[in-house]
Amino acid sequence: MSSNQCIDWQGNLACLQPSGLVLKSRHTVQGKHVFGPDSDYTTLAISGLELLSEETEINQINFDSQIDSFVMQACGYSLDKEATWNLICDSDSASISICKNELVSWDVSGTEMDEELFTKMNDAWKEEMNAVSQGAFISEQSYRSGGPSRMNFNSQSLGEIRIWPPREMIGDQRPIAAEPMKKSGKIESWTKLSAGGAPSEFSLRAPILGGICTVFVRLDEGPCGVFLIADDEDLEPVIGNSVTFAVRKIYAQDGLIRYGLKALLS
Amino acid sequence: MVDVAVIGAGQTKFGNHALGLKGMWAESTENAFASIDGDFDPSMVDEAFIGSIAFGGGQIGNTAALLTEHTGMDNIPVRRVENACASSGFAFRDAWMAIKSGQADIVVAGGIEKMNDLTPERKRFWLGVSGDTEWERLAGLTFPGTYALMARRHFHEYGSVHDDLVNISVKNHMHGLDNEFAHIRKDVSFEKAQSGFMVADPLTLYDCCPTSDGASTVILAADHVAKKLTDDPVWVLGSGAGSDHLALHDRPSITQLIATQRAATSAYDQAGITANDIDLAEVHDCFTIAELMATEDLGFANRGEGGIFAREGRGRRNEGQVTINPSGGLKSKGHPLGATGTGQIVEVFKQLRGEVEASRQVRDANTALTHNVGGSGATCSVHVFGRDLK
Repeated sequence: MSSNQCIDWQGNLACLQPSGLVLKSRHTVQGKHVFGPDSDYTTLAISGLELLSEETEINQINFDSQIDSFVMQACGYSLDKEATWNLICDSDSASISICKNELVSWDVSGTEMDEELFTKMNDAWKEEMNAVSQGAFISEQSYRSGGPSRMNFNSQSLGEIRIWPPREMIGDQRPIAAEPMKKSGKIESWTKLSAGGAPSEFSLRAPILGGICTVFVRLDEGPCGVFLIADDEDLEPVIGNSVTFAVRKIYAQDGLIRYGLKALLS
Repeated sequence: MVDVAVIGAGQTKFGNHALGLKGMWAESTENAFASIDGDFDPSMVDEAFIGSIAFGGGQIGNTAALLTEHTGMDNIPVRRVENACASSGFAFRDAWMAIKSGQADIVVAGGIEKMNDLTPERKRFWLGVSGDTEWERLAGLTFPGTYALMARRHFHEYGSVHDDLVNISVKNHMHGLDNEFAHIRKDVSFEKAQSGFMVADPLTLYDCCPTSDGASTVILAADHVAKKLTDDPVWVLGSGAGSDHLALHDRPSITQLIATQRAATSAYDQAGITANDIDLAEVHDCFTIAELMATEDLGFANRGEGGIFAREGRGRRNEGQVTINPSGGLKSKGHPLGATGTGQIVEVFKQLRGEVEASRQVRDANTALTHNVGGSGATCSVHVFGRDLK
């Protein structure tokens, strides 16, 4: 990278520089960058690393405790305090930098977010962290064992057939681990659930957002999956349109935030 | 091999019940025992299978033992059968197999669910426990969502439209209007059903069945016993069952239910009939799109023409070749999950014996079908019944 290059990336604002990048949430409140409805430092970190990885191989990185190390690991990035790459969270705004050396500051204007919505969403996430499951739930163990598939599209193969999500099959049907799939696909169907129709895990945020939107996607490498829309965008999906994917927060329960891939509408 | 008949059937009203599990089961079973024509005593029952999800978790263990001890069936082998909303359809199949195998002569199959005694928050946890928790629920899906995905895809692939679903809703409410056991007994106009509150786009409130309390009980008997207890048995001509991938995204198509097709093929083959021979069918319309797809999967309509079938009103009582959901279906009669499958059989038993309200009676009803689906189609049972043994 010979000069600064600023782009929209996975719903965020990225400034690529010769020694790294700065990634900011595109959402602002009174001019200050704030996290969107389902973002935090961890989702910015994964997004930034995926952008840098298009030009540079990064496996080890030094990052602080505001980043969820399990999510980083599931996406293929391990913590190394001696690594040449450093991931730094900006404690004053929804922004991170990933660099070998010092980066230049970068000012960019974002999209102003309704302040009341921002406050309500923040409060809901805090309350959700204390929520306790009363029925069907995904245990921490289940969540962690599925992490690499949920956050990085790690898959399996059986001959020519690509399998995702991974299944525990036996005998001749036993698949082998395969490369992560490309994070792209096409919408085959979609729905928007009203607040009352959404699972209880989303009961605090769904009323604030006016419901939650789910798409049924055929991934470019064959398998299908269902995904929430990233950033809770108020856009109507279209069957046949392409989507890409980015890691976002899904819900919190029992003190643990669950992350996963969500669909970015083109 | 022994033939199997239904010799008695009864249920509670589906809806909001003041009674708890034991009270509902007692009422339902008492009604079923009372419907047996001959001299019958509960101690004659050899075995019992009771379908239930145990919604809410209030009595999730040993449900069947708790219930049967209160209805005179002490000390016999009993168990709870769980296959989501198809629980009692499978309980019935298990009962049928117990008699077919020669291990029992009289068997009780039933179902029960108590859904409306939970706080709204707790109820939301339990609605959707039968989908793929790890991959569908994490994507924000409960069953209104999964069926909405099927509906939109069906619209896209075959040109069906939401008004086709509205027709199904209106028909089923009309059928259930005079059913004394139905949860929602009201005439719903096309315009009203068209403008319902959106639950999961494109499905509105009028596309979704209610959550109900209720119990249903069916008594099966081997032919040599049945003939002693009634002059008017309803014969089980075929019992089919199938399963499919739990998660929608693992299936090759989301506009058809393979489990239904497998179950129907098996039941038709055993009965030696086709869909054209069915006079009435109790179909699992947890959502209107489920009935539309079932009319195709069961062979009443060609693939992709379920919308046309509904549009032309071909499932209305006594108007077409087959009456679909004469009870009002899950949409009007209600859906107390575990009780729904045997509840369908109660309706068929009464229809074939000419015992429903005159306004609801399907004319010349000789052959009937029940179709009970678990969740979004992971499990399904189909049964064919007749007034005569083939």
